[in-house]
Amino acid sequence: MRRTLTDPATYRRLVYLLLSLPLGVAWFVALLTVWSLCLGLVITPFVIPLAFGLAAMTRGFAAVESEMARSLLEVDARAPAPAATRSGFWARFRALFGDGFWRAQAFLLIRWFVGFPIAVVLLSLIATALGMIFAPLWVPFVHGGAHLGFWRPRTFLDSLALVPVGLALLPATLLAVSPAAALFGSLVSDLLAGPAGPPNVTSALDQALIAAPVGRSNITGAAADPVSPRRGFEVHAAVDGVVVLGLGLIWALTSLGYFWPIWVALPLALALAIHGWNVLVTERPSLVGHFRGSRMLTTTAGVGAAVSLFFISIWAITGHGYFWPVWPMLVIAIALAAEVVATLLASPRHAEMAERIETLETTRAGAVDAQETELRRIERDLHDGAQARLVALGMSLGMAEQKLADDPGRVGELLAEARLGAEQALRELRDLARGIHPPVLADRGLEAALESLANATPMKVTLSVDLEERPAPAVESAAYFVVAEALANAGKHARARRVDVRVVRTSDLIDVEVEDDGIGGADPARSGLRGLRRRVEALDGTLSVISPRGGPTRIRAQLPCAS
Amino acid sequence: MRVVIAEDLALLRDGMTRLLRDNDIEVVAAVSDGEALVREVMAHKPDLAVVDIRLPPSFRDEGLRAALEIRRRVPGTAVLVISQYVEQAYADELLADRGGGIGYLLKDRIMRVVDFLEAVRRVADGGTALDPEVVAQLFRRRREGGPLERLTPREREVLTLMAEGRSNAGIAQSLVLTVGAVEKHIQSILSKLDLPQSSTDHRRVLAVLAYLQQDN
Repeated sequence: MRRTLTDPATYRRLVYLLLSLPLGVAWFVALLTVWSLCLGLVITPFVIPLAFGLAAMTRGFAAVESEMARSLLEVDARAPAPAATRSGFWARFRALFGDGFWRAQAFLLIRWFVGFPIAVVLLSLIATALGMIFAPLWVPFVHGGAHLGFWRPRTFLDSLALVPVGLALLPATLLAVSPAAALFGSLVSDLLAGPAGPPNVTSALDQALIAAPVGRSNITGAAADPVSPRRGFEVHAAVDGVVVLGLGLIWALTSLGYFWPIWVALPLALALAIHGWNVLVTERPSLVGHFRGSRMLTTTAGVGAAVSLFFISIWAITGHGYFWPVWPMLVIAIALAAEVVATLLASPRHAEMAERIETLETTRAGAVDAQETELRRIERDLHDGAQARLVALGMSLGMAEQKLADDPGRVGELLAEARLGAEQALRELRDLARGIHPPVLADRGLEAALESLANATPMKVTLSVDLEERPAPAVESAAYFVVAEALANAGKHARARRVDVRVVRTSDLIDVEVEDDGIGGADPARSGLRGLRRRVEALDGTLSVISPRGGPTRIRAQLPCAS
Repeated sequence: MRVVIAEDLALLRDGMTRLLRDNDIEVVAAVSDGEALVREVMAHKPDLAVVDIRLPPSFRDEGLRAALEIRRRVPGTAVLVISQYVEQAYADELLADRGGGIGYLLKDRIMRVVDFLEAVRRVADGGTALDPEVVAQLFRRRREGGPLERLTPREREVLTLMAEGRSNAGIAQSLVLTVGAVEKHIQSILSKLDLPQSSTDHRRVLAVLAYLQQDN
């Protein structure tokens, strides 16, 4: 307890919690204003700049909160990354309203609805405690003394009784600070931090786009996104639930008259519905199929339905009458119709192509990167290996030349040394060349090359290759290096004794599978496997590495090949 | 002895020509592609063709294919294939006709001039010269179980050198044994592997290689 009271961290946390007073109010007022404007102007073009403004504002607020959490709570919340610089208006628009946006919204709301009451309670408790501790200094001099409901201490002696109460209340209050701050800390790391958080180049939505058509290669054991889109939605829903429940409670405790909390609940429900639809589309790409394969159309349809329902609810609450929601609904219907036409006019495969482009951008970057790494490795190998050996060889020859006249006996030794150096250099160059592209692969194809690989390892390798015709050189070579890397891994890290290699061609895939009997625990982030994955992905293939601790390791690559 | 050389890199072609001529081996032609090799061999009927595997125009296994064609068109021509890398699959193809007079060596081996010349003469004479790396690959392929496990370490050494194509005298020299001792080891190996006792060194080597090449 004494540690809690003397720990400066406690006071930093207190400051953080008390900051809910100004910040919570500021966030709430600002967001409420802009959201109301957005919803009010949803049928006018003004909504577009407003929406951009809202996204920018949310990101700015979230950045302030992350920084605050980092310095005061010591929670490692990364500040939101700058907006994606992807071309295309809609792409950018979509990126702005990715999962990160909704989670930041949820956090900012929590800061107000949860943080504000906590701060008020804390502040009053601290003020009361301080007032009691210093009661002898002011109670006797204030007309009427202190007001404590049932008791009114007026004299100096009366007020002395308050001092121990205050002395107990203050540390008790401070002890409550850390748990409350911990709640916010976990909220910050759930809602503001994490790679899927702020809209970087890949928002959760875009990751789903990449995953959908060709299948993202998944490496088991690689760091998974700490917060899934579904979890973000769940947090959002829970927060909304707490907020509405809290307001309902306040309503019940106070007037019980006009049910005003509905005006908070309705916009929250609208935002929640849009968020939910987004998550649903992300998780079930097949949904997009019902909308002619256009993700844009899918999103618009969901948002349109939610907004229509929103207006209809308002109409229903405000006493029926003239059915004015027909106008915004008409606008939504026109927008939808226009989009359907656009989808039909643009090639029906437009959406697929957009997704394809995203995949290609990602995998091309990976391939370029892998190539760069590979070239650097080759340069280093040449520099440290063959080049150095040739220098040494030249030195031996030079010395032999020099000794020729006075010490002919030494010349033979130096020449033998030079020859050994040349042999060593040749061997290294041969290994290097084989690592770049084994000649037997080009000459004789995959099966012969894999046999040669199998013959070169001390492990017992069972090889089964079932290919009727030779695949494209790039595919063949990727398949070869998958096996080569898997064998190297099995021998070096997994201490395997036998390995099964299976290569099968199905209608449009080459399926390469390597399983060993080693100790497992292969790290997919190791440069060899990482480079391999990029190489496979560049060919639209997938690579999976299943390597539980204790083994066995199974590495499988599926490489598409046109038949 | 008359030799035709096929090597596309002028530096190596000239170097090899000089090396062979310096050792009283007649180089009747030195060409740079497979087609020219077949033509020159048909024209000169040399004792031996020294062929680089990778030749224009494909720069793949052009030389190997030319070598096999020579064997078909001019039977009895010994062929020594040299390369920057060795693959057991190529050795299998070269040895397929079981005729002898076949060599398959890394270019590195040329640097050990005495050994190389010995291999050149042996192949021209109808023997074999297989690169130690190929032999190692053959051994690895047959490592698990089987009669090879029954050999003593010394017998494995002798078998390795036999597979490389060395004569009994050569084996004796490199293992520092008497020729008689080598003979005894060879008898033991042949009986353990259930191979016929052949009359000549060359025949024995071919039998050993055939044995090692079988798939187990």
